[in-house]
Amino acid sequence: MTALLQLAALCCVVAGLVAGGAVGLATRSLRAGLPVALDFWLAAGLLRLGADPGWTSLLATAAIVAVRRLVTWSLGTARTR
Amino acid sequence: MDALLSEDWLKQTVDLLVRLVELAGAVVIFVGAAVAFARFLVTAVRTRDAERFVPVRLNLGRFLALGLEFQLASDILRTAIAPTLREIGELAAIAAIRTALNYFLGREIKEERSELAKAAAAASGATSAAPPE
Repeated sequence: MTALLQLAALCCVVAGLVAGGAVGLATRSLRAGLPVALDFWLAAGLLRLGADPGWTSLLATAAIVAVRRLVTWSLGTARTR
Repeated sequence: MDALLSEDWLKQTVDLLVRLVELAGAVVIFVGAAVAFARFLVTAVRTRDAERFVPVRLNLGRFLALGLEFQLASDILRTAIAPTLREIGELAAIAAIRTALNYFLGREIKEERSELAKAAAAASGATSAAPPE
């Protein structure tokens, strides 16, 4: 099951790159593409945390959550400015 | 009766349940990601409006939150068979991360939904305010 979850996580990482790139290209803005890619990478982190619930994957997922919050917050403040 | 309710049997049963619930969470997350991926690509081909991607992100967020709920349930089940303090500590950290993430996801979903509702209200207001031709 661990190998399957790792494969699913890898698929989500690739999907994040492709979907984030596609949205960024379609809207001609990195602001729209980056949150999309981060959403998929978050899904990958959650799948990896299910496959191997150790400190390393836990720290990696926490880092993705922190970056995601930071990006969402900075994009929100840039939009309201 | 003793053999039926032995500690080993309980451990194996809870372990199986944990795996099942964890698998259900992973399936929900993966299916959500796959559906969102297809919808993102279709929307990217059809439109260049950034607002059109918000409902797709909202849907993906909902799937992630649901998958997280399953993973949290498996964490709770795991506490029944965690024998050492170190394992319980690790479990607590994972549960804390998942709970925090669930909270933030819920907040984001609420914010984006209210933004969508505001945009829809503004659009319908503009249509009703426009003079009839």
